[in-house]
Amino acid sequence: MANFMRLFSLIPLILIALLLTRPGLAQEPAEIICIQCHSTLPEMYSQPIRLWRGSIHAENGIACHDCHGGDPQDAANAMNPQRGFLGAPQEPDIPAFCGRCHVGVMRDYLASAHGRALGKGGPTCVTCHGNHQVLKATLELINEKSCSRCHSYERARTIRAAMQETEGLLVATETRLNDFKKIGSNTEKLEKELFSLRNSFHSLFHNVNLETVNKQAARIQLELKKIQAVLTEWDQAGQRRKIAGALAVSVMLLIALLAHLVRKTFD
Amino acid sequence: MTLLKKIADWIDLRIGVREIVRKELTGYLLPRNINAWYSMGSILLVAFALQVLSGILLLIYYVPDADKAFNSVSQIMNEVPFGWLIRMFHAVGSNMMVLALLLHMLSVLLMGSYKRPRELNWLTGFILFSLVQGISLTGYLLPWSQLSFWATTVATNSASAIPLIGPYLVEFLRGGVLVGPPTLGRFFALHVAVIPLLIAALIGAHLFLLKRTGVSTPPFGQPDTPTLPPADSYHYEDHPGGIPFFPNYALEDLRSIALYLACFLAVLFFDPYLFFPRDAFIPANPFLTPAHIKPEWYFLANYQTLKLFSNELIGLSLQGAAMTFLALLPFIDRGQQRHPLKRPLFLACFIVGLLIWVGLGIWGHYS
Repeated sequence: MANFMRLFSLIPLILIALLLTRPGLAQEPAEIICIQCHSTLPEMYSQPIRLWRGSIHAENGIACHDCHGGDPQDAANAMNPQRGFLGAPQEPDIPAFCGRCHVGVMRDYLASAHGRALGKGGPTCVTCHGNHQVLKATLELINEKSCSRCHSYERARTIRAAMQETEGLLVATETRLNDFKKIGSNTEKLEKELFSLRNSFHSLFHNVNLETVNKQAARIQLELKKIQAVLTEWDQAGQRRKIAGALAVSVMLLIALLAHLVRKTFD
Repeated sequence: MTLLKKIADWIDLRIGVREIVRKELTGYLLPRNINAWYSMGSILLVAFALQVLSGILLLIYYVPDADKAFNSVSQIMNEVPFGWLIRMFHAVGSNMMVLALLLHMLSVLLMGSYKRPRELNWLTGFILFSLVQGISLTGYLLPWSQLSFWATTVATNSASAIPLIGPYLVEFLRGGVLVGPPTLGRFFALHVAVIPLLIAALIGAHLFLLKRTGVSTPPFGQPDTPTLPPADSYHYEDHPGGIPFFPNYALEDLRSIALYLACFLAVLFFDPYLFFPRDAFIPANPFLTPAHIKPEWYFLANYQTLKLFSNELIGLSLQGAAMTFLALLPFIDRGQQRHPLKRPLFLACFIVGLLIWVGLGIWGHYS
């Protein structure tokens, strides 16, 4: 009897035994050699890994070898220059190092007052953006604490204020786009437009001409509002679907009620 | 009216349609104390028909090619007129169908309708349940999203725990070492051709068996005919003092189906993403494992059970044994009593089992 009870209590664990899922069974890709080795080394060498994990690079799947080169699958040749290992760049080489991917940003930087001071005590990319814990480029990067390390914050403050509204619109548009993406809307075209606008906007970050900043920010805001208009249309379509749904549900409930009442007459 | 009558007379003269109506509808008598749970079968028939219909409509635009599948589903959702409705109808419908099927099985268990002479009805129903699980799993891969890809990877990988043949079975299921385009081809064929045909055949067998044994008298309420002990020879359980299927019970069926559709449409229009995690709308990427891959809600208890055992073979075997036990329940539980309150041991096991299943599911969801 006890055995029967025990067996019977397992009844709900029915379903197809061979077609089950379990995360532990997933063949997750092993971490690259760089992370495996550096994670076990003293703080000085393991810190970059920890910092990188919280970076926008990690979020987008950009790993050690994407910047520093080398072979991330072969421990013996992970740091072999013949496998493209570059190591850490010297300070004057940093813009070119980052600029292999961020081509436009490097161009803007080199044209700016910051870039023109490269090698003469001026800041490089990592001065403001950090090196391993590279954060997503936002207006927050222009702040008194950071800018005051080298010069007065006043001019930077005026530029930041001029760009604040555009930044807010960018963030709001991105949030709305992500919400639509989560429910399967095809946001690809709008995402590309937003990406392009964000790049244009970020190129202003290195500009110190207030008039240019204002003019460009106004243009970008206009384009962002066009994207917002499309999203509003999608919102409205969603509302219309809900109204249609409410009607459909009501019709079904009405049919159920009628069927029930007619059935009662047979009693 | 006269024309309609003439047409009816013309058809009746040739195939005796009035006799069919009399025998199968107005003269087909059901137990007087029949209840709404007996409508679950009709609900399931409608649900399956809707799945077939929406599936055929999806086939018009869906491309079963690993390079194009995700985009084709995205196109259905965003560009095809009412494509979103058809896709959501199919996806939400599959979950609702599993829910209805579970309720059908639970009611059959509770009312003891699986007992002799209805062992085959139960067995065919149980196989149908397994096939519905199978068609849901194979359909899961078709959108070729991150969720599809990784859920299928872990699901097929489970088979590797089977001794000796496990690795070969995994490769056979996937059509290769890893989930890839051949897997999509296989799952597509299973989803749109093989399993639907098997389900249709099993539904036919299930209904045939129902027709041959007759509808069981519910253990509740005042029966129209005294309950007889199981006969040694074939016996059709008729209900001479019962109610006609048409119009009486057909109206009850209609009410149940309309209520089911109301619930279904409410989910479809107001919270269709209940069954879609974020990874369901990201294209498959074999090089990027999502942080948390969770199976569909009806597999969560199994998922959590597997996690409880360090050796996955033990977890699989336990579930296989439980499933076999459940499939063979009518051959194990031979008692004649069907009222749940007069079967305290069964009722206790039923409630405890259900609570364990729900508990494991919730645990699996939040783990």
